[in-house]
Amino acid sequence: MNDTTQQQVFEIIAKQAKLDVAVIKPESTLKDLGVASLEAIELIFDIEEHFNINFPDQQGANFDTDTVQSLVDAVQKALDEKAVAGEGSE
Amino acid sequence: MPTVSLRRVVITGMGAISPLGIGAEALWQGLREGRSGIGPLRHPDAGRLRVKVAAQVPASFDPAANIDERVLPMLDRTSEFALHAAREAIAQSGLDFRRNELGMRTAVVVGTGVGGETTQDEQSKRLYGENSQRAHPLTIVRLMTNASASQISIAYGLRGPTYAVASACASANHAIIQAAQTIRFGLADAAVTGGTEACLTYGALRAWEAMRVLSDDTCRPFSVNRRGLVLGEGAAIFVLESLEHAQARGATILAELAGSGMTADATDIVMPSAEGAAAAMKQALGDAGLNVDDVDYINAHGTGTLANDVTETKAIRLAFGTQAERIAVSSTKSMHGHALGASGALELVAVVGALRDGVVPPTANLDRVDPACDLDYVPNVAREMPVRAALTNSFAFGGLNAVLALKRAP
Repeated sequence: MNDTTQQQVFEIIAKQAKLDVAVIKPESTLKDLGVASLEAIELIFDIEEHFNINFPDQQGANFDTDTVQSLVDAVQKALDEKAVAGEGSE
Repeated sequence: MPTVSLRRVVITGMGAISPLGIGAEALWQGLREGRSGIGPLRHPDAGRLRVKVAAQVPASFDPAANIDERVLPMLDRTSEFALHAAREAIAQSGLDFRRNELGMRTAVVVGTGVGGETTQDEQSKRLYGENSQRAHPLTIVRLMTNASASQISIAYGLRGPTYAVASACASANHAIIQAAQTIRFGLADAAVTGGTEACLTYGALRAWEAMRVLSDDTCRPFSVNRRGLVLGEGAAIFVLESLEHAQARGATILAELAGSGMTADATDIVMPSAEGAAAAMKQALGDAGLNVDDVDYINAHGTGTLANDVTETKAIRLAFGTQAERIAVSSTKSMHGHALGASGALELVAVVGALRDGVVPPTANLDRVDPACDLDYVPNVAREMPVRAALTNSFAFGGLNAVLALKRAP
């Protein structure tokens, strides 16, 4: 599950940054990958759309300088929360 | 004002994206041949709209051509048009903005009636129609009214006064006047200016339908069988320079932007006033140092509505007296449609062509002259004649009038 999420996030990043997915490492930052600030916001939008999740409004999080792994973690957290919320409402 | 010495302003480049094709030359050739850019409306919702015709930029227009792929996602259709037209105008001018830091002394003023209408419409559809919780993150940078001016500034490193001007159908003329005055008063040596509009969205078309001013077949200015205006889209952008700057570098001058006039009717939000329009034309003549017998051509606002055509005719008579009957008057909206905030710029391409080539473009579809419109409207076929000086009129909803006065290149 975790790998799948990671792979999907990497693919979205690769598409936005026009990179080969192989060059993206968990420890890369978006800045390293040449994703400028406005493009990072687009990328977040693409990820939200893809997974149908909402990231909380940024409170100190910095998508430019945080690692790609932290982005994957944030996606996983949002997916887990969504799953719990889904169970709760049923 | 007479205490400062004013600089003369000339046009050294022009570019256009219009219903008559890609490029200013395509627009001018189309107009002088009397060709129509009006056709059946191409729109995903055309089937449920009452409006059946529009003057649209050809489907062959490729927004991605020559634009950085990182910039493209930031562009509304208005900015795509503006950037393409600006590229053509700047290339024609031959200016290098990096040389002698000219970019620091170059203004960018772009008129648009509504700005990023396509973006607004798409995002509204998403939010209200599809119940999406998210707007696209580039919505703001795409739709802001100054986006076109800012994108041109960024693309060419132009750091002088840069902003948008909005005055509905007079936006382009007002913008060009602001740019010219910036040069005239010495605040810049060059300017990139004009107008852009891409307003043929479902929402905007419905709003225009509701005003009941749209023709269901074509645009027939000054013709008694007129049925209203035809909406258009496109952009035209010009490079302006001070005369001395252009001459010092041996530039080819297309025309002189000799003067301008701006007035407001202060009467009605939509019904035009002959007095307000005439005052703007007289102001433009005075500002350009022209007498009524110096002007050979007027590019009319000429929307093809009863309210405009009759009032504009009266206004020309008020401004020119008996000389009005001698002057060739034509409405090129009969061919390129009414591109709202871009119209004045598209029409300036026609005026530059007329001055340069000695050809007055016709009023197309002029089947039967309205008896209340009693001037020489150059019906249906272009006329070869020397044009020494010309006016071009834009009159907007809101009662706003902006007139440019042009002379042949000195």
